[in-house]
Amino acid sequence: MILVAIVLLAIAAGCFLYRVLRGPSIPDRVVALDGVLSVVVSGIIVAAAQANSDITLATVLVVSLVGFVGTVALGRFVERRGG
Amino acid sequence: MNVVAGIFLIVGSLLTMIGGVGVVRFSDLMSRVHAAAKAPTLGLLLVAVGAAIEIGSGKAVVTLFLVVVLQLLTSPVATHVLARASYGQVDTELDGGDDLAQHFAAKRAEIAAAKRAEPSRDQGND
Repeated sequence: MILVAIVLLAIAAGCFLYRVLRGPSIPDRVVALDGVLSVVVSGIIVAAAQANSDITLATVLVVSLVGFVGTVALGRFVERRGG
Repeated sequence: MNVVAGIFLIVGSLLTMIGGVGVVRFSDLMSRVHAAAKAPTLGLLLVAVGAAIEIGSGKAVVTLFLVVVLQLLTSPVATHVLARASYGQVDTELDGGDDLAQHFAAKRAEIAAAKRAEPSRDQGND
């Protein structure tokens, strides 16, 4: 069951990375990077469930907050500089 | 492995994957924002519920609850900032027309009409 979840997350990461590489404008890439970070967060949680331990879960908090700050900062950048 | 926890993990991962497919397949920026904002958030919520069931310790449950609450608070804000900043900056044609431009045009016409009607009260009427 863990394997199915990991494969689905890998497909999701591939889709988001395709859009990061291909995306015609900067906001496309920022949105896709936000999605990649969401996949990373889900992956850390799935790995914690597989290992049945809670020591990596604090990392999840940090990664999700860094993603929020990064997306807002890049949004301000797009607002000032254009896409 | 708990079966309920496994189902939660798989459904959450599936929702994240659906968000990724939407980001690849949709044709304009706003649709991609729409796909990338909501589906992975709900997927993360379900994955966190599954992991909380599987691990079951108090610390894990509290941390995952905090993660989910913060994600539910910050994800709409970040996406809205990005979509609002990129509106008008990115030169793409939107699927189904630009309703917001018509809304802005109607609002500007309304404000101009109000100014013409009462020229003395046009201060601070943003």
